[in-house]
Amino acid sequence: MSGPDDRETAGIDATTDRAVGADSGPDTVTTPTPDTDPDPDMVTDTGPDSAGRVSRPAAERQPYVESTIIMTTVRVIAPFVLTLGAFVMFHGASSAGGGFQGGVIAATTVIMLGFAFGINPVADRLRNEYLGVLLILGVGTFLAIGFGGYLAGDTFLEVSAYETVIDHGSKYSIELVEVGIGVVVAGVITGLFFLLGTGIDSVAIGTEDDTE
Amino acid sequence: MTDTLVPLLVAGPLLGALLTVAAGLLDDRAPPVVAVLTLVGQVGLAGWMGSRALLDGPLSNGVGGFVAPYGIELVVDGVSAVIVSLVALVSLGVLFYAVDDDPGGTAFYTEYLLLVAGLSGMSVTGDVFNLYVFLEISGLATYALVASAGTGRSAVAALKYLLFGTVAASLYLLGVGYALVATGTLNMADLSVKLAQVGYDSPLVLASFGFIVVGLATKAALFPLHTWQPDAYNDAPDSVSAFISALVSTVAAYALFRLLYTVYTPAFFEAVPVARDALVVFATLSIVVGSVLAVVQSEVKRMLAYSSVSQYGLVVVGLAIGTPAAVFGAVVHLVGHAVMKGGLFVAAGTVDDLTGARTVDEYAGLADRFPVLGGASALLMLAMVGVPPAVGFAGKWYIALGAVRAGTWPVAVIIFGSTLLTLAYFTLLIERMFVAPASPSVRAATDGGERGLDRPDRPSRVALTLIVVAAVAAIALGLAVTNLQVALEPTLDTLLAT
Repeated sequence: MSGPDDRETAGIDATTDRAVGADSGPDTVTTPTPDTDPDPDMVTDTGPDSAGRVSRPAAERQPYVESTIIMTTVRVIAPFVLTLGAFVMFHGASSAGGGFQGGVIAATTVIMLGFAFGINPVADRLRNEYLGVLLILGVGTFLAIGFGGYLAGDTFLEVSAYETVIDHGSKYSIELVEVGIGVVVAGVITGLFFLLGTGIDSVAIGTEDDTE
Repeated sequence: MTDTLVPLLVAGPLLGALLTVAAGLLDDRAPPVVAVLTLVGQVGLAGWMGSRALLDGPLSNGVGGFVAPYGIELVVDGVSAVIVSLVALVSLGVLFYAVDDDPGGTAFYTEYLLLVAGLSGMSVTGDVFNLYVFLEISGLATYALVASAGTGRSAVAALKYLLFGTVAASLYLLGVGYALVATGTLNMADLSVKLAQVGYDSPLVLASFGFIVVGLATKAALFPLHTWQPDAYNDAPDSVSAFISALVSTVAAYALFRLLYTVYTPAFFEAVPVARDALVVFATLSIVVGSVLAVVQSEVKRMLAYSSVSQYGLVVVGLAIGTPAAVFGAVVHLVGHAVMKGGLFVAAGTVDDLTGARTVDEYAGLADRFPVLGGASALLMLAMVGVPPAVGFAGKWYIALGAVRAGTWPVAVIIFGSTLLTLAYFTLLIERMFVAPASPSVRAATDGGERGLDRPDRPSRVALTLIVVAAVAAIALGLAVTNLQVALEPTLDTLLAT
């Protein structure tokens, strides 16, 4: 229904927008192709609007509308998803499962919350410190098990030495490492998702000299 | 007892990286302190273990008590002792420059320590798959560090490096896969035995050799696989260029050495002479093209980057020729290049901070205004060219000697020719610095008034100390090279025994 002519018009619209807004920021990306998004920072997939553009900049988009259905559903299933994540994580040592898979499942809990309650409100709550603490806990668990090998046995990460400390010690220690991996993976996935979702707004595009 | 502590060489920086994150959450000023303390510890540990390995023979440890060849083995022999100590020392030195020059945030110091962990791991691992893991750890940390300048150009350079580095690591992994299919083992020492049993002319073994060499050669930036390298060196923050130019490719070249001599062994080269010839041709091409490209550069950092392409060609030629002298020369040149190139990049970064000069022409008159900086840089450049008694001379001399002894005269001629080209581009720079009248940017830096807003009027003490230390080290290493030869002789004899 939209022929090449429409697309051409849309392209002109887009370039005009650019020309008007050109002095608004140090954005140096040029978009010569007609059907490219006028604002390359925000690409959304909302379908053609009345002006014939296929996407809109964030400022023109409708704000997030809270949907009771989605919020209720997420509220109900989130604990189950988190439990599943923990379950998979804890089965890394002896059966199918593991920290990587379990961590991703656990991270989807937070991502679901983002979908249900809006990405920005959830991102505001997720402070950098939380993710930092997750990282420290995860890697710290691994290193603690590793260095503990010197105390319990002779060498780094000597999990078999934990048998003398506690029954099934090697299994539990490997399990702990898996949980550590899971915590790190969950933190990284959550961090990446919200970084992409909220956008990096403070990218310094400047001359070479002002960065050092 | 020492053997069981070998994993600390990797776990130490990793713990340091974790503590850096923790310290960063508490106080913004804490991360650099933690990073410096970690690397001081790393220098002590590497020095202690390195001296034990050189004096008492190799240290080895099966991680987690899992015995090799099933578990992962970490080995410190003579050569890895040298490399792991080099990594610790240079990373500590450059860290001082990083703290002084562009104080990054928590993320910067964390990535820095992760990179040290990765490089140390690559130096001490005795397992080809574990080497891949450390290759990726150091790769990922490097991409992030290159991008940490925050400019568009550094982001593009990091992306380019990421694409190249990932493909390179994948090729390496593919090679490891072929070797695993052929032998069923991943332990280096075990592989060397089993590869011989499979037969060196088996297609699986040949394919694995090809993939591994191409993968590691990309990481070491040999022509024509070097295209990521000038951008990464040029657009990264000054301290990061110094760090990666000194260490990242060095450790990749060391990994190639390890694979060639511990896994494939000289017997492979004897069974498949075409592999050796191909490697020699590949590396000599790199020497020549790298030098020629360096001569035509106008930007100093890019010139230094292309010079590295040529120097790594030299190292790989030494490795490929495979006579004891040539291999020893390659190791010496690897160490010497790290010290000299690291120092030169610190100098280039300092000059950029002082005057904004980035091109050869803008360097004009620099030595008049900043005599110590200019003098020490010139010394480093001459050492790089190979003026005796500097380490650059020692490395080239041994490689050329090895080439002559092996009867490959053309290689010796090319080494001599490339020395002339190296002389050409560095003399050009030295002539600018000492003889030519001052360029506008150099004049502006010292006359005041016109000077940029926050340009210092003299080089920072830390940077100057580092450059002078690098220059002194380049000469001291050259003088101490016979001692090093004695220390490394047992290791190299074992590796080169067929």
